[in-house]
Amino acid sequence: MKIIGPDALFFGVDDVTACAQYLTDYGLEGVGVTASGGRFEALDGTAVIIANKDDGGLPPAMGTASMLRKTIYGVMDTQALQAVAEELGRDRPVRRLSDGSIEAEDDMGFLLGFQVTMRRKLSLPAEAVNAPGAPARRPANVVAVDDDAVVRPRTLSHVVYFVPDAVKAEGFYARLGFRCTDRLRGAGPFLRPAGTADHHTLFLIQTPPFMKGVEHFTFHMGGPTEVMLAGTRFVNKGYQSFWGPGRHKFGSNWFWYFNSPLGCHVEYDADMDLHDEHWVAREVQLSADASQLFLFQHREKWVPSGPPPGAATGVPKG
Amino acid sequence: MPQSVFLCRLDELPDGESRGFDPLHTGRDTVMIVRRGRVLFAYRDACPHHGTTPMAWRKNSYLNAAGTRIVCGAHGAQFDIATGHCTLGPSLGQSLTPVPWVVNDQGDVHLLLDPNQEKFP
Repeated sequence: MKIIGPDALFFGVDDVTACAQYLTDYGLEGVGVTASGGRFEALDGTAVIIANKDDGGLPPAMGTASMLRKTIYGVMDTQALQAVAEELGRDRPVRRLSDGSIEAEDDMGFLLGFQVTMRRKLSLPAEAVNAPGAPARRPANVVAVDDDAVVRPRTLSHVVYFVPDAVKAEGFYARLGFRCTDRLRGAGPFLRPAGTADHHTLFLIQTPPFMKGVEHFTFHMGGPTEVMLAGTRFVNKGYQSFWGPGRHKFGSNWFWYFNSPLGCHVEYDADMDLHDEHWVAREVQLSADASQLFLFQHREKWVPSGPPPGAATGVPKG
Repeated sequence: MPQSVFLCRLDELPDGESRGFDPLHTGRDTVMIVRRGRVLFAYRDACPHHGTTPMAWRKNSYLNAAGTRIVCGAHGAQFDIATGHCTLGPSLGQSLTPVPWVVNDQGDVHLLLDPNQEKFP
């Protein structure tokens, strides 16, 4: 069952205009966006889709503050789609939609869709770093810093759920081929589906039922500099930093989380670890130290320069 | 007698809207105010879910689209504007911390501070 990861997240939002502006400023590209919502795509076509929460025909709300209505997974091929349909069909209704995708609920009541992935293949360089002792990644006269660099989210990386029963939820996703790559005791498992090497495309956090929903989602950027640059530009547009920038331990991904009008955090991330079947999951107790290698906080630009204020002339007296 | 800190003029607060302030110069907004006519509702800009984390999703954006609820930009927790009580979301059953305020005869909005600790009482 080669599930790759989330192709799209569908939200029923309170303020379509605010969310559309937010997702555009975050760096996604609006496709077919109207006053009633639309699709906001990363470079590979993975997306966040928004509609007004009161519009007819939307999947039902969860009854919590969460605005997430559906998580749409991309799978490798029609065989994988059929395998998912058969597995889910063993114990729950599976609907086939007119676009060829299938739809069913997970064991926590999150609505899932599955489709043959619509991701466009990306061919882009990673951030190139020069280091003593290593071959040059940027040859002579190639400058790393570009004030005007366009940095755009490349692909939808992962989504994080608040779930009332993380053990049961993990069991459900295991049936679909998700494997635990690492575990934070007191929170839950990082899960990697079989169709990707990424450390996780899903992380589960155990919470009381009234919190059920999405904690955050994130798109992969081209490297740590892009996380910092995109985040700095986002702050400069008035958006509220929540946590970061920093670097996680599990997954090793650089992170920067922001508040949003979508009822969840929205993150920039980059440089996540890749794993295969030989990896042995680690397990530690949730703590600040376990959650990050280091943590910084944005401040306004500043520069040390010149003499102290009392020595303005710099000319010795006498 | 508590000390007070000037925030803004009342007529600088758009009626029915919210604004954030950084009266203690911490580098981010720590107080949010919603204006309804002559009445202000002032709270610490701190969601009870995590205790100290900021609620706006963008500078001054603390309300739902209809302007009828304070909404935390972290996880969408909703709070009654008049009471600060959380009615939906991660802070369910908890409340925002009110911050005392006065509007003087000149129409200046002041927050009242604890003089000993230079923090909100």
